[in-house]
Amino acid sequence: MDRAIVVDHLIKNFEANVKKQGLTGSFSSLLKPEKKIIRALKNISFSVQPGELIGFIGPNGAGKTTTLKVLSGLLYPTSGFIQVLNYDPWERRPEFLKRISLVMGQKRQLWWDLPAIESFELYKEIYEMSQHDYGKNLEELVELLEVRKILNIQVRRLSLGQRMRLELIAALLHKPEILFLDEPTIGLDVVAQQKIRDFIYDYNRKYNSTILLTSHNMDDVINLARRVIVIDDGKIIFDGVLDELVSQFAKEKIIKVSLSSEDNISHIEKIGKVRKISYPLVTLSVPRQTVAVAAAELLQSFPVDDLTIEETPIEEVIRTLFKGSMKYKK
Amino acid sequence: MKKYLQVLKITFQQELAYRVNFIMWRVRNVMQIFLIFFLWDSVYSDHTRQLFGYDRTKILTYVFGILVIKAIVFSSRSIELSRIISDGTLSLYLLKPINFFKYWFSADVASKLLNMGFSIFETIFLFLILKPDIFFQSNPVYLLLFIVSLIIAVLLFFVLIFLINIFSFWAPETGWALPFLFVVIIGDFLSGSVFPLDIFSKSAQNIFYSLPFPYLVFFPLQVYLGKLAISTVLNGIVISLGWLIVLWFLVKVFWEKGLKKFCSEGI
Repeated sequence: MDRAIVVDHLIKNFEANVKKQGLTGSFSSLLKPEKKIIRALKNISFSVQPGELIGFIGPNGAGKTTTLKVLSGLLYPTSGFIQVLNYDPWERRPEFLKRISLVMGQKRQLWWDLPAIESFELYKEIYEMSQHDYGKNLEELVELLEVRKILNIQVRRLSLGQRMRLELIAALLHKPEILFLDEPTIGLDVVAQQKIRDFIYDYNRKYNSTILLTSHNMDDVINLARRVIVIDDGKIIFDGVLDELVSQFAKEKIIKVSLSSEDNISHIEKIGKVRKISYPLVTLSVPRQTVAVAAAELLQSFPVDDLTIEETPIEEVIRTLFKGSMKYKK
Repeated sequence: MKKYLQVLKITFQQELAYRVNFIMWRVRNVMQIFLIFFLWDSVYSDHTRQLFGYDRTKILTYVFGILVIKAIVFSSRSIELSRIISDGTLSLYLLKPINFFKYWFSADVASKLLNMGFSIFETIFLFLILKPDIFFQSNPVYLLLFIVSLIIAVLLFFVLIFLINIFSFWAPETGWALPFLFVVIIGDFLSGSVFPLDIFSKSAQNIFYSLPFPYLVFFPLQVYLGKLAISTVLNGIVISLGWLIVLWFLVKVFWEKGLKKFCSEGI
């Protein structure tokens, strides 16, 4: 099968004006603008098969949104090769645009003062859909996202969560083969986030559409994506299945023990780093290589009722990953 | 074509969503006409007076003409363009399979139709109250030339507004200020919608006529009133068409440049 997206040695530099501090700085940058090159993407490569659901994670300014913008044709690459559905996105041909969609959590495409249904009617014409296809797709999406009651209400009267669901419909009416989601859950409460997440998951399953999503919300990525691309400082530092991320980056494993008495409890520190003690439960982290030894020693020297060995939670792995890279940058 | 009709339809609804706003805008226009009307009415209290080549009937027709022509030429949605560029919403438009210029022109046409409808209604209303003497052009040649000059005026305004808004690519912080300034200064003054431009000296008029602005309101009205010789009218049409082509070319060039900047920086 053809690959949906191919990115090869992509580099994207921005030119930005630098303003010096203070009023004099404002004037001098007005007279003699100082240019600075910002290297947003430093040579990234990856490819995507049709039907994949991929999550991009990384700290703010890592290059997630830039990647999506280059892939959808909004930014032209400084260098490198990009192909999306066998098109060069930068040309933004109508045939290409009809097969993709980009949703930005921070920008709205629905007409603010009108009910959403009016915007949908407009998109029906813009994407040159037949009445039949339009009716069918709209019906399905309305059903999936449970928005029937709010279709005829002015968009500005709706809550952010309701609006986001309608924005998704606007983006999906024309059945795009590739969907780019930039921070789809930003600003939403937990329940609304979950609704959007469930929908994205179902949609990907049902229609086998390729979905690329960025989020700074780790829950989004962990719950949705089978494959994650971790991007930091313009470089891909990990690309693969979530579990691999843990085994590759988590240097330690977690041992949880339940003790039957408090004897010797202070000596437990010798075995591993104590993360938490709330008697009778003690949580330790131990280097991956020595976990078996540590467990044996625990069983031998302490009154253990129960013992489990776990992987470090994924959120934590990612967090330490970014923290480490931040330190590295400084 | 159908998609642009739909754009027209939705813009129509959008304009009507702000009913009060829209009505206030129309009230402002009517008030302005009232003011100018009474000014000229008193200037021409002597019914036989002739000033600047206008008799009483023609100057009052001019005043009424301003109302209708301004509604057709100056009504526009593309003023929003600067906001769309500076807040980055432009991205969403770029990813739709539409022609950006046609999209905004359709939106403008919707606004023009709506305003035109209202202005005709207002004209009838004012006509009934004020009972002025109105000049009706009966020469079909002048009427035809009037329609041609009006179409050029509409296109000229579209191109001018587009060009001004495009500067938001380089100065996003100007927002609506620049277009607004343009509409107030050029729209009301240089286009002849406050007073006819032929009250100025001949040399000043020559300068005005070489600029694109009189062709927005003043020139079409002159044609309607039959105040210009056919050769002068044709000359004016050639100049305004020339401006249209030059400005359209500039729009194309700056649009491409702006888009390139937009897309390299990703505002």
